[in-house]
Amino acid sequence: MSDYKTLTCADVSIGDKLPPLDIDITTGLVVCGALATRDFEPVHHSKAAAVATGLPDVFMNILTSQGLMTRYATDWSGPEAVVKSVDLRLGAPNVPGMVMTMTGEVTAIDTGSGTVDITVVGENNIWGMHMQGSVQLALPQGA
Amino acid sequence: MVANVKDKAVIVGIGNTTFSKDSGVSELSLAVQAIKAAIDDAGLKPSDIDGMATFTMDTNDEIEVARALGVGELTFYGRSHYGGGAATSCLHQATMAIATGMAETVVVYRALNGRSGHRFSGGVAGDITTADAIHWGWYMPYGLLTPASWVAMFTQRWMHNTGVTKDALFEVAHSTRVYGANNPAAFFYGREFDRAEYDAARMIADPLQLFDCCQESDGGSAVIVTTPERARDLRQPGVSVRGVAQCAAEDQEQMTSFYREEFAGIPEMETSAKNVYAMSGLSADDIDAAVIYDAFSPIVLWQLEAWGFCGFGESGDFVKDGALRTDGRLPTNTHGGQLSEAYIHGVNGIVEATRLVRGSSVNQPAKTVNHALVTSGVGIPTGGAILGKMD
Amino acid sequence: MTTEELKAFEDEIYAYVGREVCPPTPAKDDVNVAMIRQWAEIIGDTNPAYTDADWAANSARGHTIAPPAMMYVWGQEGFAVTTGRAPDAQSDLVSLFNEHGYTGVLGTNVKQEYFKEVSPGDNVVMEMTIDNISERKTTGRGPGYFFETLATFSNQHGEKIGTQRFKVLKFIPQEQPAAVASEETLQVPTRIPSPRGHDNKWWWEACDAGKVLIQRCKSCQTLRHPPRPMCGKCQSMEWDSIESTLEGEILSHTQLHHPKIPGYQYPLVCAVIKLSEGTNFVANIVGCEPSDIHIGMKVKGAVEQVDEKTMLPQFYPA
Repeated sequence: MSDYKTLTCADVSIGDKLPPLDIDITTGLVVCGALATRDFEPVHHSKAAAVATGLPDVFMNILTSQGLMTRYATDWSGPEAVVKSVDLRLGAPNVPGMVMTMTGEVTAIDTGSGTVDITVVGENNIWGMHMQGSVQLALPQGA
Repeated sequence: MVANVKDKAVIVGIGNTTFSKDSGVSELSLAVQAIKAAIDDAGLKPSDIDGMATFTMDTNDEIEVARALGVGELTFYGRSHYGGGAATSCLHQATMAIATGMAETVVVYRALNGRSGHRFSGGVAGDITTADAIHWGWYMPYGLLTPASWVAMFTQRWMHNTGVTKDALFEVAHSTRVYGANNPAAFFYGREFDRAEYDAARMIADPLQLFDCCQESDGGSAVIVTTPERARDLRQPGVSVRGVAQCAAEDQEQMTSFYREEFAGIPEMETSAKNVYAMSGLSADDIDAAVIYDAFSPIVLWQLEAWGFCGFGESGDFVKDGALRTDGRLPTNTHGGQLSEAYIHGVNGIVEATRLVRGSSVNQPAKTVNHALVTSGVGIPTGGAILGKMD
Repeated sequence: MTTEELKAFEDEIYAYVGREVCPPTPAKDDVNVAMIRQWAEIIGDTNPAYTDADWAANSARGHTIAPPAMMYVWGQEGFAVTTGRAPDAQSDLVSLFNEHGYTGVLGTNVKQEYFKEVSPGDNVVMEMTIDNISERKTTGRGPGYFFETLATFSNQHGEKIGTQRFKVLKFIPQEQPAAVASEETLQVPTRIPSPRGHDNKWWWEACDAGKVLIQRCKSCQTLRHPPRPMCGKCQSMEWDSIESTLEGEILSHTQLHHPKIPGYQYPLVCAVIKLSEGTNFVANIVGCEPSDIHIGMKVKGAVEQVDEKTMLPQFYPA
């Protein structure tokens, strides 16, 4: 059980940076992410449908991006953290062949309620900002 | 054997610009600032310069530099090829010109906006229009296209063959950064650095991490070289070129000599060392301090072996004994090197080696430095020189 | 569009504010372990709160939970959407925009708030309304309106577990004189090709055809790579080539971490390989974990299409 550590508010300071995470955008991730989120819109699994919308290939669906953003936050916080909200602004599509680098920073801490706000940016190496926004986590009370 | 030009040329002036990440000026401006500083250091006038030696990679045409500086007639201008391998090759060119009488006073210079302009770390992708484009084509499609990645390929095999570990790479990285922390001109000035930070830094290309890699810098460096006769009348104590050599070895490629029977080695530097020692009549035992080209930490280790400071595979133990430190066997890269002062393609190293012989390094060792070694970049055709006090 | 027409159009669209897109609808499947595991595997989320029942039993929660970001997933319509969606207030609104030239669509913001976690066995009930429509805005994409749907989620006990606000811009696409240029910027980058000249073009053309050749001196039979116009051993300029078996052994390798070059898939490993024919060769190592690659490893290569434009030898553990 002790393999997993969860941060408490006492462990965290405003300005703390989350370790960057590179996500390789592959056809597998785009298509399988769409299926795992039951998003069967053809633009996420059919290249022809995606090309018809003016994009070069299938592109990542929003629910996958949301999933990656919460994963990034809880990878950092540990599993006892409770996700309170995810607020994201959408930018350029994530298309296979790109690499999205996620970075994050703690911007607010409320020791009373035990919540921390993290801003997160996911930027791909070709078109730039894919998503940016914030995740709010409730951290367990410290010992 | 190569022709002997021992003590035929003397360094009489040195100059650096400010080093920065964004100079905000042209490379030509950096070049003439560095050269002017070197001319002033020597107590000469621009019109005393009649020769120039720089890198094929330098963008500053000799005639532009001459007009900007107010240099009159040039009777010698020669360029040296192969990136950082050209550092001491420019000194080699200058020495030959002076020894043969083709010129009397030659400036060696290099100026680049290496951070705000074209960055080498970006790799050879894109607008390569040089004749060696075909050569890079054997590596680009696979993604092997940055200096760090080529050096990493050598390093991996060399560490495998010798058993040298990252402890030795760290000692190179750390010793130069301690020097840099004490050098107001260095990027690392006043900065703390320890093993934890080294280990935590991002991987660039296995096994090289961020702090195994040099700075990317904007700046210029220059040295003035002249005859011993002229040198005696000048302001600074002369620093004589005891020996200088360049070499491209068999089956040489630029950074990718992967086709040799054993590629974890730098035979071109071994030949350079042999010829410099023969010319100068000196040996490794006579060298008191060194400026060893350090674009990446492991290449310092290979050069220590090539110059005979220790045997093949022994450089790890050599440096871990503190050899590179100010009180060690061979205080090395006392300006902070290119890992922590600035990356001016090794010409700032010639400046520092001159200072070591003059006794004016910011990290001057307590012992007398009669002879200092300075080297060029490796993995490419390269060379080196031994500088000593003018008799 | 005259002012009157615009007014009539806006009256029509604003009438949609508050309209129900879908009534409270229980998900067809309860929250379940299988879908959670699939989601976690693909997203790469190793959080034990989702998939490790033993860990969860001893955690503060006492049981596993569904990833909060799956809240909307449970009520998704399913594969039927590939052939179109049943009309609802939202699709009616979208049609109305389309008929008036606002054919462009762009999801701009999505915000989910979570009030209560759900676990396998729970059922997620979703209802959705059109919450608000902005005034007409001039955007970088063209003039348009933002509309926002509000989805509210409850569990089988009627407890509210969360909300989702999704903002969409419907806009009149601008005639773009730079359309051609912008299409070019939308090209997926491919690997940087080798320039091809007299001395290497034949080699790359063979590679395009799926073969790796090794140049051979016709006079002294010495193999050489990379190709050159003259034999360094006997100075003959006559040469032919043999096809490599692509069997070899790794002499050295490096994993490229930084910078990440557009057009390349990472993790990316390059190696120097001694081919069984005797010449050394540089290529990628694929088909195994980078950490498993070592000097002395036997490898076997194949020429493969690595992106839309590039055929390249790739080596696998033998």
